[in-house]
Amino acid sequence: METMAENAEKGSVLIVDDDQDMLNLLRKWLEGAGFKVAAAASGSEALTQYASTHPDIVVTDLYMEEMDGLTLVTHLHAGNPLLPIIMLSGHAQIPDAVKATHLGTSAFLTKPVAREDLIVEVERHIRPQRRDSATIFGTAMVYCSDIMINLVEQAELVAQGDVTVFISGETGTGKEVLARAIHAASARRDHPFIGVNCGAIPEQLLESELFGHERGAFTGANNKHEGLFVAADRGTLFLDEIGDMPLDLQVKLLRVLQDFEVRPVGSTRSHAVNVRIISATHNNLEDLVKNGEFREDLYYRLNVVPLHMPRLAERPDDVPLLLDHFLALHAKKTGQDKKRFAPDALAYLAGASWPGNIRQLVNAIELCVTLTKSDIIPLSMAQRALREEPVRVKTLKDAKAEFERNYLVGVLRVTEGNVANAARIAGRNRTEFYKLLNLYDIDPAHYRVSTSGD
Amino acid sequence: MAARIPIQIDPDLADLIPGFLDNRRNDVARLRALLGQDDFIEIRRIGHSMKGAGGGYGFDAITEFGAEIEKAALRADAAAIEQLAAALQDYLLRIDVIIDA
Repeated sequence: METMAENAEKGSVLIVDDDQDMLNLLRKWLEGAGFKVAAAASGSEALTQYASTHPDIVVTDLYMEEMDGLTLVTHLHAGNPLLPIIMLSGHAQIPDAVKATHLGTSAFLTKPVAREDLIVEVERHIRPQRRDSATIFGTAMVYCSDIMINLVEQAELVAQGDVTVFISGETGTGKEVLARAIHAASARRDHPFIGVNCGAIPEQLLESELFGHERGAFTGANNKHEGLFVAADRGTLFLDEIGDMPLDLQVKLLRVLQDFEVRPVGSTRSHAVNVRIISATHNNLEDLVKNGEFREDLYYRLNVVPLHMPRLAERPDDVPLLLDHFLALHAKKTGQDKKRFAPDALAYLAGASWPGNIRQLVNAIELCVTLTKSDIIPLSMAQRALREEPVRVKTLKDAKAEFERNYLVGVLRVTEGNVANAARIAGRNRTEFYKLLNLYDIDPAHYRVSTSGD
Repeated sequence: MAARIPIQIDPDLADLIPGFLDNRRNDVARLRALLGQDDFIEIRRIGHSMKGAGGGYGFDAITEFGAEIEKAALRADAAAIEQLAAALQDYLLRIDVIIDA
């Protein structure tokens, strides 16, 4: 089925009226103004059309037989509370207008409506919805809430310069997604974005991982390693969970940020790097500073522009959009038809507390689509998904695959990208080992280190 | 014969006008048939539709006819509706549609 939103430049409109002359007229006007138009001659037809065409906005008559406009608004908003709806009415009756506004109607126009008035209202109300595709941030992030609009406005400004950014926010709120979007919107976009989780790498390795090391710098350093600062040259280095960085490494990082020079472990020479730093943590860095676990001077160096990713519970307006986004993503990934949540399930999820934030939402959707056979996910399943949230929603196959991938990466790290040695350790022949690498899209060259001394 | 009534029409709507006016001629016949059945609910609906669409097509008079028919239906005023149907029929015979490019 055609999705209008993808084809129309100015946006798509669903018009609903049980008078064919009115439908013809509205279609003519709106198409003339550049909108893509679908028409429905009744409320029930409108619900079917809405499900298949996903218009950006609905224009409906109030006074219709079978299902009136207000009932239609209730049904449409149960599925998508953010859908802008313009109500047309032949009766300029105040109670209807008040009720329509209370139900979340964007505008109320009295028939006979003038062409210009209708176009102005449609353009005015369609814009906020389409804002999400307007920018790089719009494609990278899914939002419509004021709190996110403000955040993205700040991030857009920040992206234009080279200033050091610090992103705070709970686990699972999407700090790395924001960091990537800032990189993508910056002049550095054609150069690497490299992310490193400072809490996931053992202390001894983190230094050489970041700054590189010379051949023979320490036991096992058989080859020179250039480090992530060099790898991210002219790009962006994302230091996640910076709060977990050991104190002695904090000193070294501070020095790099002051001089923009890195000195690999075991080297006497420093070389210049051109890297934009974005750091993030779920910890309260100020508390860590107070407790002496994080250097105050480094804190100020990193925290030039602070951005805060809100908890999902702080942006309930975004929940329906996020659900829709991840349901579509899941459908695309699996090649199955896109499922959707029943209106009461949607309302329930929009009001949930989401302690695990977007990551929890993604897990909940995985569970729901996996366990729901029909196209519509019922409330009971949504409730179950949140109850069973701590369970990692992963098939045995996926869990095995994840283990296998991590294992292969580990072996390649140990052997510094030497496939023959890695295959030997893994107890596989080289052909088999290469097949595995292909399967997981792992490039052994990435783990190879330059053998020359320069 | 009574004077002609020139109506300027948005050229974008040119292809819709014949169908729209045919529907109004049908309305005249239906209004009369519905009067015979005392079906003021349906008469009101017709008036309501005419009121909503007429001005948009460029026929402000049709919006006015529609509003009057709607009001007359609400008070079940068969004589007024009979008069309005006749007036509408006369109006439809006298209009000259001018498509102004």
